[in-house]
This record gives sequence, C-alpha cells and structure tokens, in this order.
Amino acid sequence: MIRVSHLTRRFGAHVALDDVSFEVGQGEVVGFLGPNGAGKTTAMRILAGYLPATSGSASVAGFDVLGQSLEVRRRIGYLPESVPLYREHRVVEMLDFHARLHRMPRARRRQRIPEVLDQVGVRDRARDLIGSLSRGLKQRVALAVALLPDPAVLILDEPTSGLDPLQRIEVRALLRGLAERRTVLLSSHILPEIEATCRRVLVIHRGRIAADGAPQDLVAKLAGASFVRLEAVVGPDFEKALRLLRAIDGVREVLHRGKLGIHDVFEVHGEGDSREDVGAIAARTGWALRELSWQRPTLEQVFARLTLDLEPAAQSAAPAAAASGAAPAARPPVVTLNPFERPPPPRGGSGQSA
Amino acid sequence: MSGLFAIWRRELSALFFGPLAWTLLCLALLLDGRLFVGELAASSGDVDVATRYAFVVSFYIAILAAPLVTMRMISEESRAGLLEYLLTAPVTDAAVVTGKFLAATSFFAILSAAVFVYGGVLAAQGLAPDPGTLVAGWLGLVLASALFCAIGTFASALTSTPMVAAFSAVLLDLALVLAPQLARLSPAPWVQRLGARFDLTDHLSSSFLLGAVDTARVVFFLAWTGLFLFLAVRAVEGRRWR
Repeated sequence: MIRVSHLTRRFGAHVALDDVSFEVGQGEVVGFLGPNGAGKTTAMRILAGYLPATSGSASVAGFDVLGQSLEVRRRIGYLPESVPLYREHRVVEMLDFHARLHRMPRARRRQRIPEVLDQVGVRDRARDLIGSLSRGLKQRVALAVALLPDPAVLILDEPTSGLDPLQRIEVRALLRGLAERRTVLLSSHILPEIEATCRRVLVIHRGRIAADGAPQDLVAKLAGASFVRLEAVVGPDFEKALRLLRAIDGVREVLHRGKLGIHDVFEVHGEGDSREDVGAIAARTGWALRELSWQRPTLEQVFARLTLDLEPAAQSAAPAAAASGAAPAARPPVVTLNPFERPPPPRGGSGQSA
Repeated sequence: MSGLFAIWRRELSALFFGPLAWTLLCLALLLDGRLFVGELAASSGDVDVATRYAFVVSFYIAILAAPLVTMRMISEESRAGLLEYLLTAPVTDAAVVTGKFLAATSFFAILSAAVFVYGGVLAAQGLAPDPGTLVAGWLGLVLASALFCAIGTFASALTSTPMVAAFSAVLLDLALVLAPQLARLSPAPWVQRLGARFDLTDHLSSSFLLGAVDTARVVFFLAWTGLFLFLAVRAVEGRRWR
C-alpha cells in the first residue's frame, strides 16, 4: 500500500531523510518512532504529497506521490501535527468544506459527516465554533476531517500530542478501531502508545531507518533478556546470598548491584522467571524482602539504545560488578532513561512487583 | 473546479466572519459616498462627472484595501499550518491560489457595486445616469481590483507575516500605478510611449469610465492579473521546497 524507495530529502545542507526505504502492506498499522528532528514528519509530508523528495521515490496505493499527487491525496487521510482547522468555522462547516474539496456529492456528504462525527465522539459539538473547542476536541475534529473521505491509508503525525492522559487513552482506542480496515502510519513520541497500537515499528534516527519490526521482536533482539530483580536485607555476607541464588536451576548469572540503604540489590539472569525460587530462598533464609520483580525490557530501551547509542541491558550488566560486589559505577546521565538503572528511591521500591 | 469553488466559497464567507471586511466596507462606502455627494454638488448636478469621480475614488481605495483583504490569505495560513492542510487536499496549487484570489476580487465587486445604489437613488430623483456607463465603470473597477488582489495574493505567498505582505503589496500597487505616470514625464519619447502603454489609470479613465468596454484594455488588465497569479502559484509551490 505504501512503498518508499531510496528516499532522500535535503533542506540546504541538512539531510532530513537519507536513503530511506520501506514498505507498508495493506491493513498494516505501523508506528513511526524517532526523536525530534529524526525525519518522521518529513517522511510523512512526502507521502502526503506536501513535500517533494530530493531523490528516490514513494508511492501510495500504486500512485507516485510526486507524479500522481492528486490521486494519492484522494486516497489518504492526513493529520499533520499542527492540527490545521479553521477556527472561525463550525465543526460541521469544516467537514463540509473538506468534503467539497474531495468532490463528495451532497447526499454522500449528508450521510458521511454525521458518521465520522459519531466515530470520533463529537456529534454533540457539531454546531460549535472550532475556535471555542479544547485541544482534545480539536484533535478529534481533525481526525474526523482525515477520516471523512473514508481513505484507504491514514497518515497521522503525532495524533495524541498535547492531549491529557485520558484523552490519549480515548484516541488510542479510536485508532485501534480505525486500524481494522485501513493501512495506518502513525508517529508518536509516546512509546507505550506505539507498543499498544502498532503491530510494526519503524525507528527512524538521523534520517535513516534504524530498526524495523514487531515491537516484541525488536525488544527481544535489541534490549536484552528479562530478569528477576531482588531487593532484600541479606545480612553482612552477600557472597553467601550470591551463591544461593546462583544455585537456582536455570540461573546463568547473578549480579550484585550495590546497596540501596540497608537493602542489597541483585539481578538474577537466566532462563525463565525464577521469582518463586528466589522467594523460597528468601523465606528459608529469613531475608527481609522489599522487592521481588520480573523486569521486562521495553520498547523505550530499544529506542534509547538506537537513538542514544546505549548498550542493551543484558550487555550493560557487567559481570565484574557481580564478582566485586562494588557499588554501581558512575554512568552518563542518559542512563536515567533506562528503567533498570533507577536512581535510589527514598523509601520502598517502584518496579513491577511480583 | 469544484475544489476551486469550495475554496472561493470558504474564503469569501471567512472574510465576512471577521471584522476587517465589514470595517473596510463601512469606511469605503462612507468616504466614497461623501465624496460622490460633494462632487455632485460641485459639478452642479452633473451625474456623469460625479459617477466618474466615485469610480476614481473607489480605484484608490482598492489600492490600499486590496492588500489588507489579501494579506492573510496565504501568509497566515502558512503560519497556522492550514496551508499544509490545503496543499495535501486533492486540489491543485493553482486552484488554492485562484480560489483565494477570486474571493478577494468578489469582495471588491460587492464593494464597487455601491455605484448601482447611487444610480438608483439618482434615478429616483429623475437624474438617471446612463446604465451602460455604470456597468462599464463597474467592470473596469473590478478588473483593476482583480489586479491589486492578484498582487496582494502574490505578496501573501511570499512571506509568513501578514503585515509584511500588506506593506509589500501596497508598494507594488503604487509602483505599478505611479511608474508609468512618471515615465510619461520623461524627455525620451520611447519612455513616454512605454509609460502611456502601461498607465493603469489611463486604461481605466479613457475607456471603462467613459462607458466603453475595450477588449484590448480588458486583456491588458487580465494579462497583468494572470502574471501575478502565476507568480503567486510559483511562490506557493516554492514553499514546498523550503
């Protein structure tokens, strides 16, 4: 449905897109992920027919975005990040204008406008002036505008930016519903949103595709394996605790990550979830347990690794630290993005508790 | 074509949603009406002279008002992201620019139609002006206003700041009106001839305002208007490369 081949776009000396190629099949929901200035918006603008490419080609529904731009524009619903709406118009007038641009006959307009207003949940605000609507409602109206011609392809640039958490959940649910019948390409800074909505992720960084695949595959491949995290008071002999933990069946490596107050922090790496075995040892030896959690790597780590050149979690866990039992070494500030390396909380753990 | 019509319709309605169009209409009608009545009295009731005078006043009003009407049409939309919306809708760049230009020109066609009200009032007093002269004068004024609107649309496409667009358009309008008149003062005969050929006021006053619709002069206005519209479309296309 979308085919991008060796696409390059320069703005003067700045290369916004550098030889980018990818394909999106019919009915796929693809998340475009990347830091600010990575080239996401530029790629979307080229696909929507707003910007021409410096070199390379792109097609949507079999039509070239440059040579057959009008054909492409008839088949896509594009929602730019700026949420472009005429403030002086009523919601229904804005939709009517958009329908006329798409040469929709009057009967179709009368049927389709209430349909999309229902779909995005603003039917009761149809007669309101757009300028008087809240940011979230404007976002919904802009989405209604994009959906109005019933496009085969939806290109949504940051569809939830500026929304509060509740509105984000609503829009996310709406997008999941839309994705059932359409090809959707959406960009977002909010990684859990991409994980929840998209079956495929394209990570774009410095104008190039840095990763492409299903979120769970990317996480497994790039962010390292899951592990058990343990915070407990194990007494003065933490070496003994290390020995006990290493003796658990299937455990490959146990790392001592230093102390948080009086609690020692361990990471138990190996095959499968060994929380029950660790819990049994804690009960048997009388360790005062504060946290026993199963830590799964997230898309956020993949994103951080690809865009900030961080090491994957499994590699960052230096075996030397386990042997010496020393406190964690000082790390550059970017590590705070890694949820495994949280700063010490004043009291109590905040991980995914067992 | 339906896209162009939709844009024209939206732009014209948007003009009347804001206070600018109403303020301009009010001020222009007050000024033009007052000067018309004054001229009618000064010319001892010569209806043709007074009507011609009203047209000339409307012409100079258009020089200043057209940039105000067109200044936001592209520049403001570019800033608000609405141009991205329009340029990704299934309409050509030319349709976007032409729709906006036609909306501005329609506003001036409505504004200039005040002369028909003057004609009606005078007819009620038994001083009916020649209807042909009124229609020809109105047509000339609409053509001149169309040229100023095309210049304003072009200026609006060049910048993202409406005031800069308005200021540039006024300067361009004045240059186009005054340069040929200055050229006519030149000692060189070829410069004088060139000035005469490009003199907007002369094209208006020696044809349309006398009740004659000269196709050569119609083409003169349409050609200049077409040139600036073409430049405006190119400027909008150029925005895609910035």
